[in-house]
Amino acid sequence: MGIRWSRLTPQLALTPAVAITAIAFIGSIGWTILLSLTSSRRLPDYAIDWTNPFRQYDRLFADVGWRISLSNLIVLAIGSALAIVFGFVLAAMIERERRGEDFFRTVFLYPLAISLIVTGVAWRWIFNPALGIESFLHSLGMTWVSFNWLADGRTAMYAIILASVWQSSGFYMALMLAGLKAINVEIWSAARMDGVPLWRVYIEVIIPMMKFTFLTCAILLSLGVIKAYDIIVAMTNGGPGQSTWLPAYFTIKALSAKGNLAFASAAAVMMLAITAVVFLPLVLLTAWQQRVRKGAAG
Amino acid sequence: MTVSASPAPAVLFPRPSKRIRGRSIAVLVFLAMAALFFSVPLYVLVVTSFKTMDQIREGAIFSLPEVWTFDAWRYAWDEACSGLTCEGLKRGFVNSLEILFPSLIASIAISAVTGYALALWSVRWAGGFLFLLFLCAFVPFQIIMYPLIVITVNMGVYGTIWAVAFIHTVLAMPVLTLIFRNYYKDIPPEIIKAAIMDSGSFWRIFVEIILPMSGNILIVVLIMQITSIWNDYLIGVTFGGLGAQPMTVNLANMVTVTTGTVSYNVNMAAALQTAIPPLAIYFVLGKFFVQGIAAGAVKG
Repeated sequence: MGIRWSRLTPQLALTPAVAITAIAFIGSIGWTILLSLTSSRRLPDYAIDWTNPFRQYDRLFADVGWRISLSNLIVLAIGSALAIVFGFVLAAMIERERRGEDFFRTVFLYPLAISLIVTGVAWRWIFNPALGIESFLHSLGMTWVSFNWLADGRTAMYAIILASVWQSSGFYMALMLAGLKAINVEIWSAARMDGVPLWRVYIEVIIPMMKFTFLTCAILLSLGVIKAYDIIVAMTNGGPGQSTWLPAYFTIKALSAKGNLAFASAAAVMMLAITAVVFLPLVLLTAWQQRVRKGAAG
Repeated sequence: MTVSASPAPAVLFPRPSKRIRGRSIAVLVFLAMAALFFSVPLYVLVVTSFKTMDQIREGAIFSLPEVWTFDAWRYAWDEACSGLTCEGLKRGFVNSLEILFPSLIASIAISAVTGYALALWSVRWAGGFLFLLFLCAFVPFQIIMYPLIVITVNMGVYGTIWAVAFIHTVLAMPVLTLIFRNYYKDIPPEIIKAAIMDSGSFWRIFVEIILPMSGNILIVVLIMQITSIWNDYLIGVTFGGLGAQPMTVNLANMVTVTTGTVSYNVNMAAALQTAIPPLAIYFVLGKFFVQGIAAGAVKG
């Protein structure tokens, strides 16, 4: 029975993981999709009205809050992309100037170890109109500056973007630094001998060589943006009005506040759809890149 | 790697950093300004938490406290109100600790064993299952939130630390399994074959051979999990109910209390108290923290 045992035990050991995947992920996703097709309110009701099973989705896209959430999602994604640019610049500078590498890396990365709730508390305090940075700059005589971003629906998203960039730049810096260090040093001496200016080496050689790192960063960034929830709760709680709503915030609010289960499920399904639309091409591209790399290496 | 250890090249190529060039200065100035930008929120939190409310009302946000006082720290820890109770942050701190330990043990145990089985034992459907786990790592929490609430209610644990710990385990499982599997797959299969010949069973090989080899990855995963569980807000607020709120939820309720005047020094002290445990780990074990980022990059 020895051999039978050694085949059976590994499969038994996998039971918890398989059960979690089957129930908590696949089953739950199916359950939520099913709920989104019903008219469940506070409690689930599994009767599907087949005349129009997508009525919750119709309602969803007619909802002003959802439309604001979607446009904010795009604004946040574009704004947060600054963190990748900033992270690359910081990594390139650290890599060229070796001095103080450990110090700078530690300082740039520490926001990542802090809860987003704490980050939100800190930034809300900085943006405080009466006692924060605005009053500080006004006391210096710069009365024309306005940092009361959180009180105005048109600028509140920029405050969220600033806080997210602050929080995540160090992370992209760390990934970029790892990518830069993997680049062959001979490229630099070759470029210097040819008299190519430094900025052109970066734009024409280094950045194309780091396609793969940039792609990873882009995937992680989109993932973070779609999931963004804590920072909204801590900084604006969606306000002023609905101006800083995001899909993640919208869905949780619909689930917990309104007792409108089918509607909230439809929003959750749309979040999954957005994730899939963003990721499938990126994941396929990554897989393709890896295959190209493997082919080049072997 | 071995070459750089010998001192000879240093003589042949003297370090070019003997004199600082203009470009170096510009780069360092830029980096220093960036460092300043990254430090501002932490600096503001620290100085504000030690000020008196009288000084805070004067406005100067960047000034140092005239009198350093621990009153706000003590008040935030012991007495500050959050929601209906006024017991300070210590309740949330204890809850966070009680959530942390079962979450860590369960998530690491399940993922390590699963990663080991998938990497080193010939399970026929391993490839498909790994791909499925990879997809699960990207699933947004909201789409499984309601079913998970129903499941934990039916298990009779909803609103307790066990529900929060259970959900942390479930959500961390795909990514952690992939990390462990990637680590274990580089172990030469000859070792396992020899161990099986030696009549080693699945569990004996895991405990006697694999675990002793896993020190490095265990530390990386441990640090990654401690920070992500400690800093979590959404799972705690969704599954903790009123009785098992972690520190982050406690903090969020505290700073959004709308009654009475806002004590900014207490809010900042509370925020710092929540941030100190993961920050301490970061500053002491930063190297492993960076490795954890690279390993768990997919988790984001």
